[in-house]
Amino acid sequence: MKKMMTYSEGIREGMSAAMRKDPDVVLFGEDVGMFGGCFGVSAGMFDEFGPERVRDTPISESAIIGCAVGAASTGLRPIAEIMMMDFLTVAMDQMCNNAAKLRFMTGGALHFPMVIRTAGGAGVNAAAQHSQSLEAWVTHVPGLKMVFPSNAQDAYGLMLSAVADDNPVVYEEHKAMLAMESEVDLDEGPIPLGVGKVVRPGSDVTIVAVGNMVHQALAAAETLEKDGIDCEIIDPRTLYPFDFDMVANSIDKTHKAIVVSEEVKRGGYMGEISAQISENLFDSLDAPVVRIGALNTPVPFSPALEPIYLPNAEDIVKAVRSQG
Amino acid sequence: MSIGIIANPASGKDIRRLVSCATTIDNNEKVNIVKRITKTVMSLGQDKIYFMPDTFDIGFMVIDALKADREDVSGLEVISMPVSGSLHDSVYAGEIMEQLGTGCIIVLGGDGTSRAVAKGIRKTPMLPISTGTNNVYPTLIEGTVAGMAASALTKMDNIEDCCIRDKRIEVYVNGALRDIALVDATVSLDSYIGAKAIWQAEKIKAIIATRCHPATIGFSAVPGALTIVKDTDDCGVMVEQSADGTGVMAAIAAGTLERMKLTEPEIIPVGGEKEMTFEETCMIALDGEREVKVKPGEKITFKIMRNGPYRVLTRKTIEKAQSMGLYLTD
Amino acid sequence: MADNKDMVKDLYLTMRRIREFETNAMNLFAEGKIPGFVHLYLGEEAVASGVCSNLREDDYITSTHRGHGHIIAKGGDLKFMMAELFGKATGYCKGKGGSMHIADGTRGIIGANGIVGAGQSISTGVGLQILLHKTDQVCVCFFGDGSTNQATFHESLNLAAVWNLPIVFVCENNGYGISNPQSRHQKIKDVADRAVAYGIPGVVCDGNDVFAVRETSAEAIKRAREGKGPTLVECKTYRQRGHFEGDPAIYKPKEEQEAWLKKDPLDKMSKWMTDEGGFSAAEVKAIDDQVKAEVAEAVKFAEDSPYPTPESGVEDVYSDIVEEVRDR
Repeated sequence: MKKMMTYSEGIREGMSAAMRKDPDVVLFGEDVGMFGGCFGVSAGMFDEFGPERVRDTPISESAIIGCAVGAASTGLRPIAEIMMMDFLTVAMDQMCNNAAKLRFMTGGALHFPMVIRTAGGAGVNAAAQHSQSLEAWVTHVPGLKMVFPSNAQDAYGLMLSAVADDNPVVYEEHKAMLAMESEVDLDEGPIPLGVGKVVRPGSDVTIVAVGNMVHQALAAAETLEKDGIDCEIIDPRTLYPFDFDMVANSIDKTHKAIVVSEEVKRGGYMGEISAQISENLFDSLDAPVVRIGALNTPVPFSPALEPIYLPNAEDIVKAVRSQG
Repeated sequence: MSIGIIANPASGKDIRRLVSCATTIDNNEKVNIVKRITKTVMSLGQDKIYFMPDTFDIGFMVIDALKADREDVSGLEVISMPVSGSLHDSVYAGEIMEQLGTGCIIVLGGDGTSRAVAKGIRKTPMLPISTGTNNVYPTLIEGTVAGMAASALTKMDNIEDCCIRDKRIEVYVNGALRDIALVDATVSLDSYIGAKAIWQAEKIKAIIATRCHPATIGFSAVPGALTIVKDTDDCGVMVEQSADGTGVMAAIAAGTLERMKLTEPEIIPVGGEKEMTFEETCMIALDGEREVKVKPGEKITFKIMRNGPYRVLTRKTIEKAQSMGLYLTD
Repeated sequence: MADNKDMVKDLYLTMRRIREFETNAMNLFAEGKIPGFVHLYLGEEAVASGVCSNLREDDYITSTHRGHGHIIAKGGDLKFMMAELFGKATGYCKGKGGSMHIADGTRGIIGANGIVGAGQSISTGVGLQILLHKTDQVCVCFFGDGSTNQATFHESLNLAAVWNLPIVFVCENNGYGISNPQSRHQKIKDVADRAVAYGIPGVVCDGNDVFAVRETSAEAIKRAREGKGPTLVECKTYRQRGHFEGDPAIYKPKEEQEAWLKKDPLDKMSKWMTDEGGFSAAEVKAIDDQVKAEVAEAVKFAEDSPYPTPESGVEDVYSDIVEEVRDR
């Protein structure tokens, strides 16, 4: 059954479906309970699942992730929310040294089926401590998986898979997209991790974009279509494991690649994808891969500055044109 | 005349925090109390105060804090002695302070600390402040008041009416003096010291007390359920637990009233003694802490004596000081 | 409790097992047979032995970088432990964790951990799991005095308190945070004093007296099992060695070291057993001999075991993804 749903509702439906199915799935984090989450993503879940399974934590990010690690290792499948991706830094030790590594370090004696939900991204004038995109920091750590949906359907399907996965999965939600509506079919079920999606088929250039940048890429493609340039847009949806085959197949056809993310350009995860394309597909390429990212500055607050910081459709159009 | 302060940093932290609802006083609060005593005593013109050294450095912390307040700390001295971190420190510090001729020793701790100091002194009056657990011997009084009483005592020619010479229980095993208790000696079915405190009523065989009252906390409250013996009475009391005895309830620990069956209380006059032997290995808890182990068949003798420490009667002392005009100024 | 000779024997057996394992680890490290960092539990045996003697097989523990004692006391297999110290394929972690990271999910050992204080927050999750599954299990979280200055200590005790989790926080106050004596890393002497800040009970016991540890932790564990929430139990003990093997520990005053060696928990216990506990010297020696044989067997098992294959080095990162091994 198809219906219109916001990105936020997609996330919530995913969590709720997982919790209805498995009593071991629990949600905890700062203000996720009666308050419904700082952005209202978990609104109503407290009423449906009760205070035992939808739990407010103190403002203690390190304990939130540590708690998820302990709970996951002994039989729960926790969804732990870190309100803002920026606050992952406070929980970095628990995420990187424990959640990510303990399966390996214990030779598989323990395993950690857990989801870390966190709201990333700029565009809401929240300044540099509430707006970052830290995909590179997460994907750099072996042992973590990471998903980043760009629409309600993916938000729903990726949540189901993230909760069902036996490994720690970081689930990034873009705060500027929460109210964005799109059509969802709840019967479609889980979207396997590591499977990308061709959002717009095309033949002239491959644009790999994640999160909110998918929408910027779509807008750019519309402009470029008028110039007679046919863009193929790939949303990998999962950053690790990454669907490189889908990208490779596309580039075999287009021979050009642009990679776009909202991270600061220096050291961003799209640099890694760019490097993989260059290493593996050099012979297919007619032009160097172009990376598009945010300015290499902290995210500025002022409505006059933030749009300058952020990458947008215009940047993508320019990049495609520059490739000739 | 000088004043001594013995503060036990280890008091008030043991298992009774779990098995009853006993008070917790953290060490920084003990520093605060000692600071209040010291300031009071200094304000009243005392020129010499000795502190026992301890593992938390309470004395040094007080001196440092007062120095930072620009007070004259030249009369404050932490006595020189090795620190073991055990109750022996309190015994030893008591001895040294008496040798130094202090006019009064203020003791911060529980029954156990008071007992230790009592073992080290003969004639110096002692003013026990409770920072421990289920105390009978030391009382909850404000450090300022304790300081006032101690200071007043040093200015009196005759202190007899401001102190009481306490009773004590001497514990002999096979005729040899092993230890003393100030308030109670309790025989329990244990074979090791372990967590020290005793709290399991069903293990108790016998209780000997220098005084007893139902309004106290600890094992002396048990005979207190049947009779009252005051600190001024020239006798002690003994009860045994017995299945066909009289059922009583008593506050053996803070917030913990236990039921026990007791024999008729036996009054032991001062100078009198009580002998017993048991078929099992037992521990004798002195003022609430397991201390003396007794093997099956060994002869235990408890003697009630009035040769304990001189304990300061705080209110009486301050009343006398007031009548002497010690609190009048120009 | 005390009249039970088997209980006494078990306590001593565990302590002796830890002592023997650690002494062997110390020597094998010196001989170069054990690589990496080894943090020994020598001198602290009474804590793990006393606490774990109150635990059931289905209870949980979290441990630290100085974790061998906890794991042995919770029933860890000496052979798999020693093999892990050697970095062998037969080790608990298949040679991928080493001394600081031994875990055994089947015995509720949710891992030693190389990050100081990490186990504190992990224990809250274990506690939450117990709470939600409504069992009467408990989780004991071991940590040292040094870790009580980590943010995790505060966050975890606070969380455990507000959620009323069935956790016993056991602080092994061994006097040092690496090279810093306690007086230089915190302005309190009794870590238990901090409990009041979280609204939970805090209690101190002699960590070198296995009976005191057993009795005190028994009450805390009982509280947790009965749903009365967490407790902070501080055991005063002493790290007889340096922070890790190879640390000459010149920062430890000689008199202090000597004073604590006189309070050695094993000496204290064996003396009690023969003097007061009704054990003959031969009975004690029989336990010592049994343990010597067990540890010797563990060392032989470790020495005879193969090193891990290159392929195994890329396994266990994920449950379902295996990277390719680099071709050498």
